[in-house]
Amino acid sequence: MGCSSSLPDRSSRRLSGLGNPESNGVPDAKNLRVKLVLLGDSGVGKSCIVLRFVRGQFDPTSKVTIGASFLSQTIALQDSTTVKFEIWDTAGQERYAALAPLYYRGAAVAVIVYDITSPESFNKAQYWVKELQKHGSPDIVLALVGNKADLHENREVPVQDGMDYAEKNGMFFIETSAKTADNINQLFEEIGKRLPRTPPS
Amino acid sequence: MLLSLVSRRSLEVDTRDSYGFALRPQHVQRYREYARIYKEEEEERSEKWRIFLENQKESNQFCSSEEEPRQILQAAELREETISVRGQEGDYSSGRRSNFHGSEECDHYKEAQLADAPEKEVQYLEEQQKEQSSAEPGKEVQLSKEPEKEDQNSKELEQVVHHLGEPEKEVQLSKEPKEDKLLLKQSKAGKVQTWYGIRQSLRALEKMMSSRVKHTKNMKDNQITASRDHILSTKDAKLGGQAKDVEEDVCVKDTFDEKVKKTTEENTADNENSLELFFPWKEELVFLVHGGVPKDLRGEVWQAFVGVKARRVERYYEELLAEETDADESEDHGNSTDVARKWKRQIEKDLPRTFPGHPALDEHGRDSLRRLLLAYARHNPSVGYCQAMNFFAGLLLLLMPEENAFWTLVGIIDDYFDGYYTEEMIESQVDQLVFEELMRERFPKLVNHLDYLGVQVAWISGPWFLSIFVNMIPWESVIRVWDVLLFEGNRVMLFRTALALMEIYGPALLTTKDAGDAITLLQSLAGSTFDSSQLVFTACMGFLAVNEAKLQELREKHRPAVLLLVEERSKENRVWKDSKGLASKLYSFKHDPGSITEEKNNGEGGNSDFESPSSNLDALLGSPNVETEADLLPNLQDQVVWMKVELCRLLEEKRQAILRSEELETALMEMVQEDNRRQLSAKIEQLEQEVADLQQALSDKKEQEAAMLQVLMRVEQEQRITEEARETAEQDAAAQRYAVTILQEKYDKAMASLSQMEQRVVMAESMLEATINYESGQAKAHSPRSGHNQSSAEETPGRSMSLLKFGLGWREKVKGKPNHESAHSISSNEGKDCSTWQKESKD
Ligand SMILES: Nc1nc2c(ncn2[C@@H]2O[C@H](COP(=O)(O)OP(=O)(O)OP(=O)(O)O)[C@@H](O)[C@H]2O)c(=O)[nH]1
Ligand SMILES: [Mg+2]
Repeated sequence: MGCSSSLPDRSSRRLSGLGNPESNGVPDAKNLRVKLVLLGDSGVGKSCIVLRFVRGQFDPTSKVTIGASFLSQTIALQDSTTVKFEIWDTAGQERYAALAPLYYRGAAVAVIVYDITSPESFNKAQYWVKELQKHGSPDIVLALVGNKADLHENREVPVQDGMDYAEKNGMFFIETSAKTADNINQLFEEIGKRLPRTPPS
Repeated sequence: MLLSLVSRRSLEVDTRDSYGFALRPQHVQRYREYARIYKEEEEERSEKWRIFLENQKESNQFCSSEEEPRQILQAAELREETISVRGQEGDYSSGRRSNFHGSEECDHYKEAQLADAPEKEVQYLEEQQKEQSSAEPGKEVQLSKEPEKEDQNSKELEQVVHHLGEPEKEVQLSKEPKEDKLLLKQSKAGKVQTWYGIRQSLRALEKMMSSRVKHTKNMKDNQITASRDHILSTKDAKLGGQAKDVEEDVCVKDTFDEKVKKTTEENTADNENSLELFFPWKEELVFLVHGGVPKDLRGEVWQAFVGVKARRVERYYEELLAEETDADESEDHGNSTDVARKWKRQIEKDLPRTFPGHPALDEHGRDSLRRLLLAYARHNPSVGYCQAMNFFAGLLLLLMPEENAFWTLVGIIDDYFDGYYTEEMIESQVDQLVFEELMRERFPKLVNHLDYLGVQVAWISGPWFLSIFVNMIPWESVIRVWDVLLFEGNRVMLFRTALALMEIYGPALLTTKDAGDAITLLQSLAGSTFDSSQLVFTACMGFLAVNEAKLQELREKHRPAVLLLVEERSKENRVWKDSKGLASKLYSFKHDPGSITEEKNNGEGGNSDFESPSSNLDALLGSPNVETEADLLPNLQDQVVWMKVELCRLLEEKRQAILRSEELETALMEMVQEDNRRQLSAKIEQLEQEVADLQQALSDKKEQEAAMLQVLMRVEQEQRITEEARETAEQDAAAQRYAVTILQEKYDKAMASLSQMEQRVVMAESMLEATINYESGQAKAHSPRSGHNQSSAEETPGRSMSLLKFGLGWREKVKGKPNHESAHSISSNEGKDCSTWQKESKD
C-alpha cells in the first residue's frame, strides 16, 4: 500500500495484479485477466490510444478525461493464450495525480505515455515511472510509450532518449501513433508476452 | 435561444440530442424513444412554471409599477442605438444576447438568414431592452436600502446610464487607449462582457435565492478574505518588482472584498426563518424544481438559483479579461505568469476537446469559453483551471451570456464545490470516502459483492462526482440533476443521484462475475439512464436521510485521513521535483547549453524554482530569452561552479530524503494500523452477519421443535383415547363378569330349587308308594264288596293310576339324565358368552 494512496483500499491485497483467484475470471494461465492503467500528461493521447486499441478508431476530437474511464479488450497471442485487458484511462492534468493511486494500485501493467513533440510530457512520464516504482505493485510491468509518432517533423524528444530511459528503468519501450494506428496493437501484444505466466494458485 | 436551433438541427443529424450533444451510437434508438416523453414532460412543466410565475408576478407587481414610465422612455431611446450596433456586428455574442430572453429566432447561426427580416429582429431587441431596463430599477431599489452609501442616488443614476449606454460605449470606447487594445485583441470582447439581468417574472425567485448567497458568504467571509490576502501576498512575492500589476490586482480584489463585506452586513438581519416567511411558495418551488426547469427558462432560473446577481461585482469580469491582456503584453516571464501560462496551455489543450462538434461551440463559441475559463482562473488562483470546468463553462455558455456564465461558474466552483477542484482536490477525495461509507450503509450486499470482485466504489463514483455527471449519464438527466443541485446550493444532490444510480442498477451488478464486467456494466447502464424523471425522483425521495448535516458530519470524520495523505504526497513531490529540477536542467544542458545561464541567474535570484520547477522547465524550453542570452556563453569554470552548487544541494536533498523516508515509514505504520482497523471492522461485520445467520438457524430449529411438539401432543392424545377405550372396555368386562356371577347365582338357585323339586318328587314317590301300598291293602279288603262300588272305584283308581304313571315317567326321565350333565351344559353356555366378550374387549 502506497503512502500516497488517496483512499485506503481493502481490495489491494486481493486483487494482486494478475487477476483475482477468488473470482471466476482467471482460473488458468491460458486465459489471463490483467488490470492495466494508462498514465501520462494531459493531451499526450492516452484516450486516443485506448480507443484505437479497443474500438479501432481515431477521433481527432476526443473528450477530456475527467477522473478516469474504463474499457476492456481481449486479445489472443500467438501461443494461443488470451489476455483480457481491463484498462483504466486516467486524467492527465497534474492535480488529478492525487487520484491516480486509486487506479494504479493493484494494476499488473502501467503504460506511461508521453508525446514525442513535448519534452514536458517526457518529464512527466519520468515522474510517473518514479511514482510507480515506489508505490505500484512490486512485480508491475512498466511500458514507456512515445505517442504521436506521426508528427515526426515536430519531434522534440529523440527516440534514443526514450529508449535509454526505458532501458535504464527496465521498461518496455515503443513509439506509437493513435492517429495512424502504428504500433498500437504491437504495444499490447508485447505487454501480453511480458506478463508473468505463473498461474495463480 | 441557441438550443432551439440545435433541436432543429438535430432533426438532420441523428447522432445529437436536442441539446446538441453527441449521442453514442448504441443510444440513438433509445434516445428516440425517450424524445417523445421528454417533449411531453417539457410541455407539462412549462405550463406549471407559467402558472407559478404568474402568481409570483401578481404578488410582486408593486415592485416595478412605479418605474414603468421611465422604462418606456429609455426603451425608446435605446432602440436607435441598438439597431445601429446590430447592423454593424451581427456576431455570436450579440446573437447570444438576444437569445437570452428566450426569443426563438435569434442566434448567430440564423442571423445571416434573418438579415432580410430586420424589423422582426428590432422588435425582439426592443422587447428585450424593455425587460432589461425594467429589471435594472429593481436593483436600484435594492441598493437604495443600503444606508452606508451616501451618494447613493447619484451613483445609481450613473449606473443606470452606464448600463443603458453600453451599446453606444462600445463604439466610443476606442478613444481610450487601454480599452482600445482590448477591443482589438478580443475583437468581440467588448460586447460579450455585457451583463444582463434576468426577466422580471423570475426576480422574486432571484431575490429569495440571493438571500442564501449572502448567508453563505456571511459564514465564509473570513475565509474568503483570508484566502484573498494569502493570494495577494503570494502574488506580491512572485511579482517582485511588478508594482503596477499588484496595484491593479489589489484594486480588483478590494472591490471584491468590499462587496463581500457589504452583502455580509446586509445579511446580518436575515436568517433562514425569515426566508421561509417571506417566500411561502418555497415548497411549491421545490416541487417544481424536482420536476425540472423548462428549457427556455433554464438559463435564467439557474442564475437565480446560484444568486448570480448578488455575487456580481460591476466591471469585475472586464477587469479580469483586461488583466489577461496586460499579462500577455508585458513580456515578462516571472513565476506568476508561469502559473497563468500553465493554466492557459491546459485550457488551449482542452478547448477542442470540450463537447467536440457541438454546433454552438464553433470558433466564436470557443473564444468565449477560453475567456471565461481564463477569467475564472484569474479570479480564483487557488483553483485556477481544473479539467471538468471546461465542461461546466461550456454548458453554462449554451444557456446564458458570457458574463452571466462567469458568475454562475463562480458560484458553483467557489461556493457549492469549494475545495473540490483546487490543486489538492481535498474535498473531492473526502466526498469519495463519505460516499463509500454511505454505500456500505445503504447497499451492504452490493458493496460486499464489489469487494469480492475487487472493485472499489470510488473508481466509478469519483468520475461521476468530479464531472457532476456530465458525459456520464444522458444529457437530459444531467441537466435535471443540475436543476436540483443548483437550487439546493450544495452537493447533496450529487450523493443522492449517485445512490439512486446504485439503487437502480445494483441488482444487475450483483450478477457480474468479474471486476471488468461489473465496471463495464455500471458504466454503460449509467450511460443509458434516459429516464431522467425516475432518476431525479429516486434521488430526491429515496434518500432523504442523506442531507447536508449528515454529509458535513461524515466529511469531518473522513477529512483528517485525506489531509494526512495530501500532506505526505506534497512532501514527497517536493523531494521529487527538486531532483527533477536537476535532471531537467541536465537534460536541457545536453540539448541547449545556453539555457543554463538563464537558469543559473534565476537560481541566484531566489530559490523560486522550489515552488514550481515544472514551470521553470517551461521557461527553459519555451523562453524566447534563451536566444538573447545565448551569446553570453558560459565558460566551463562557471559550469563547474554551478555543478558543485548543485551537488551540494543534491546532498542536502538526499539527507532530507532520508529523513522523509523515516517519516514515511512511521506514516506507513500508522496506515497499516488504520488498515488493520478497517480489516477488523470488516471482520466484525462478517461476524455480525454470521451471528445473524446463526440466529436465523436457531429460530428455524425452534420452529421445528414446536412442530415436533405438536406431533407429540397429538400422539399423546391418541394414546389417551386408546387408554380411555381400554378402560371402558374393562368396565364392560367387569359388567359382564358381574352378569355372569348373577347368572351363576341364578343357575345355583335354579339347581337348588331343582334339587328341592327332586326331593319333593322323591317324597311324592314315597307317598305314592305308600298310597299304592295302602290302596292295594284296601282293595284286598274290599274285593267282596258290591260291584257297583267296584266300578266306581275302578274308575277312580284308573284316573289316579294315570296320574301316578305320569309322575313316575317324569321321575324316570329325570333320573335317566345325570344331573351334572345338564349343569355342565349351562356352564359351557356361559363360558361361550364369556369368551365372546373377551374377544370384543381385545378388538
Ligand atoms: N497527430 C496525432 N495526434 C494525436 C495522437 N493521439 C492523440 N492525438 C491528439 O491529441 C489530443 C489529445 O488526445 P487525448 O487522447 O484526448 O489525450 P489524453 O492523454 O487522454 O488527455 P487527458 O484526457 O487530458 O489526460 C487528441 O485530441 C488528438 O487530436 C496521435 O497519435 N497523433
Ligand atoms: Mg484522456
